[in-house]
Amino acid sequence: MELFLARIFDGFSNGATYGLIALALVIIYKATTLINFAQGEMAMFGAFVVLVLATERGLPMWLAVVVGMLISAAAGALIERVLIRPFDPSDHLPLVIITLGLFLVFGALAGIIWRFDPRGFPHLFPAGNAITVGVATLTWYTVCVTITMLAVVGGLTLLLKKTKIGLAFRAVSSNLESAELSGIRVGPTLQFGWALAAAVGTLGASIYVANPIFQLEPSVMARVLIFSAAAAALGGLDSLGGAIIGGLIIGMVQSIMVQYVGFIPNELGLAAAVFVLMVVLLFKPSGLFGTKSVERV
Amino acid sequence: MARYTLVQGTPQARTYHWVAWTLFIGLLVLVAFAYADTGQLNILENSYSVSLTRLNKAIAYVIAVLGLQVVVGYTGQLALGQSFFFGTGAYLSAWLVEDQHWPWLATLAVVIPACFLLGVLVGIPALRIKGLYLALVTLGLAAIFPSIVQLDSLDEYTAGAAGKKVNSDIVAPGWLPLDGIASVLQNIPFFGQYFGDGDLSSNDADRIWKFFVFTVVGAICFWMVANLIKSRPGRAIRAIRDNETSAAVSGVHLSRYKTMSFGVASALGGVGGIVYVAELGIASPGDFSQLLAIFFIVGLVVGGVGTLTGAVVGGIVIAFVPEWSSATTDVPGVPARWLQGPTGTLVLGILLILLTFVLPGGIVAGVRKMRAKVVRVTPSPPSSPAGADSAPPRESGDTPHPVDELSEPPTQHEDVPATSAPPG
Amino acid sequence: MTDATVTPASDAPRGTPLLDVKALRGGYGPIQVLHGLDFHVHEGEVVVILGANGAGKTTTLRAVSGMIETTGSVELRGEQLVGKGPADIVRRGLKHVPQGRGTFPELTVEDNLRVGAFVRKDKEVEADMAKWFEIYPVLHERRNQRAGSLSGGEQQMLAVSRALMSRPEMVLLDEPSLGLAPIIVKDLFDRFRQINRETGTTMLIVEQNAQLALGIANRGYVLETGEISVEGPADALIHDDAIRKAYLGV
Repeated sequence: MELFLARIFDGFSNGATYGLIALALVIIYKATTLINFAQGEMAMFGAFVVLVLATERGLPMWLAVVVGMLISAAAGALIERVLIRPFDPSDHLPLVIITLGLFLVFGALAGIIWRFDPRGFPHLFPAGNAITVGVATLTWYTVCVTITMLAVVGGLTLLLKKTKIGLAFRAVSSNLESAELSGIRVGPTLQFGWALAAAVGTLGASIYVANPIFQLEPSVMARVLIFSAAAAALGGLDSLGGAIIGGLIIGMVQSIMVQYVGFIPNELGLAAAVFVLMVVLLFKPSGLFGTKSVERV
Repeated sequence: MARYTLVQGTPQARTYHWVAWTLFIGLLVLVAFAYADTGQLNILENSYSVSLTRLNKAIAYVIAVLGLQVVVGYTGQLALGQSFFFGTGAYLSAWLVEDQHWPWLATLAVVIPACFLLGVLVGIPALRIKGLYLALVTLGLAAIFPSIVQLDSLDEYTAGAAGKKVNSDIVAPGWLPLDGIASVLQNIPFFGQYFGDGDLSSNDADRIWKFFVFTVVGAICFWMVANLIKSRPGRAIRAIRDNETSAAVSGVHLSRYKTMSFGVASALGGVGGIVYVAELGIASPGDFSQLLAIFFIVGLVVGGVGTLTGAVVGGIVIAFVPEWSSATTDVPGVPARWLQGPTGTLVLGILLILLTFVLPGGIVAGVRKMRAKVVRVTPSPPSSPAGADSAPPRESGDTPHPVDELSEPPTQHEDVPATSAPPG
Repeated sequence: MTDATVTPASDAPRGTPLLDVKALRGGYGPIQVLHGLDFHVHEGEVVVILGANGAGKTTTLRAVSGMIETTGSVELRGEQLVGKGPADIVRRGLKHVPQGRGTFPELTVEDNLRVGAFVRKDKEVEADMAKWFEIYPVLHERRNQRAGSLSGGEQQMLAVSRALMSRPEMVLLDEPSLGLAPIIVKDLFDRFRQINRETGTTMLIVEQNAQLALGIANRGYVLETGEISVEGPADALIHDDAIRKAYLGV
């Protein structure tokens, strides 16, 4: 029983990261029905920026994260304006290619600027255990990650439901033409979405590498992206809450599988995620909480 | 408009094609002998090597991108996992040659059907998963290939993380007068120095022979795909690309042709993998990651989606650009740190983005625009004899519509004419 | 036929029209649909554009509201609209209710109305919403429901309310009767007339249901394959034989 609890706790912390990156994917998907293949690499780049701010500029960690998120938001807004907006939103091929190009660019830039040796990421949260139930230890890390995740979802929900820009975003996601005809400027609204997604992504990556067992290096988010994509699909590509829940499910299943289904090596976790992705898209594209419009695309 | 206008089928057009082909084959022979050792281009302080190794790698990539062209460019399916089949072909043939002592060419008989079947299997879910989602799933597939290959249970076949080494090599047959050709070339006044000195070492001879073999394999693949596109199945898949509903309504059996297209693409990927591992001598998991899958897409787009020549150009670009980028260690004004490591990837990424804006039809589209100003081959008019006053409905050498290339049929007279022109 | 000769808010034409369209051409890429339209709408009028399917009625409205590229002249109170995007045109007081109502299905009824008032900066938005809830009690009942779950007629009520939430000077209505039961359509058009009379909102209605539409209009135009073929006062059109045969099924 305790072992099971331990697995749940473990799965939660990874699951929160998957959920946050999935959230970033879903934000962009909701606004544009586009999947940003570069989301992971952008998040990784953001985490490096945070690292630089904290270590070379001496900012306190939390400030570094906030500033890093702001910088990422600016970058996301710029990318939308320059690279995405010129294209017809319904024509997916050029946009897929652009995001793949961004994947290459961000990955390569990170490698050029910061090389490939893994680096430890400073602690974001207090170390040590909060609760110990026999062998199962709930670390402060996991607790704080959970709180952060809830705060992000809560903040996002408030933003979308109570602000004007949030209303615009929801309107654009729901019916683009009607939104235009209501006087909403679609371009800046999408920019807002991209900025938000980029910031959330950076937060997700920072949290991931703040986990003492992981280190920051340019290829760190490539695997996470796949888990997050599976999580986003599972939760429903246009459901924000679904993204988080999907992330938690995938995180916990991954953790439990490693323990209980021992003959499945770690490597296959990735394959399992792709399998989940395929099964969801094949049989229930709208996932657990998504709307029918996902299938129409 | 064009300085010369030739009508297809006439003696002039035929001569043009023959001359172009002869020049091309001649060029290949010259290249083989010139670069048997390693040729170097020196610009500023950087030396860019053009070796047969690189060229062979390029051929492998070209074949893979040809496959990608079939499924993405001609059938309109965003199947982006070509590296998976490339890797499968590589590992499978490596195992057959190394452990089962098969000759290289014989592995084709296994790899082609195996990859074809695998491709069809992947194609089945692809019948229901469309567009962006298919791209996502196939990229995921590409991403997990290294994991699969490194599974402990497969270790005896794949040698895990260390990579599977293959020690068998392709040896030049004794009856080929490579030495003779070499000395003839060396005696050419003025240019002879480029072809080396003295007799060909056996290494060089083997290398030249390998290059020829691979070129022939590549040429056969090219020719087969070209014929496929022209044929009835080829028209069917292009119809699917242009408008699935119309195609279905016109009687095109969607699932049959889509899965077939996946199968063909994957088979080509596998063949490319064979060439790759035959050249490199080792198959390592890291070589076949999702990065390679994205590189293949870069090749597809940079060359030109929907054109076979584009696949050739694209394959060459992705084989040379990353290597040459790392070889560029000295560009005035740019700090050294920016010129090494993943710069090649950076360049490819930027190229991909730029081309989407500037030249959506890829390099081939740009070249065709330029060439159309000099020579134009028009199809023969239906009734009247060859005459300059007949205006064909579609001109070869035109760039695709400024619309998404996938919705525009390729400039079919260039890619699929009765006598096809060589690349360029 | 109908007894009440309609008395819309304005009768005799006078002065510069509120909306003045000249030589309007437009279409979708290589397919040109409009081949030089001239029409106008005076302040307070209700004007109807009739036409068969494919005549270009929807395209006309989309051209005016900035959804497609056009050449020609579209002047609203003398200000040129051609070349401006929909967001700007809405801010100048022109609202387009698209075919199919343009509902935001995932948003609640209330949020739909709020989006309607998006361009407003004053503080009376909530008061206006309350007013529309009075006019259409059904909307008040369903105010927290997803708008996608409303019936066709309810969505049309929502569409009208949403359009008027921004207090536009002029409203373009694209086939409001489409897909609705006859009783609902009758109510709808009565409501249009009422709104026009009480608030003076100018209306340009594109319709296939000529009878009802002409019944509340001042004037009408007939569009055929991208060109205006007939124009005149609504009364005259209703009694015109050719029109009756073609559009009134008489």
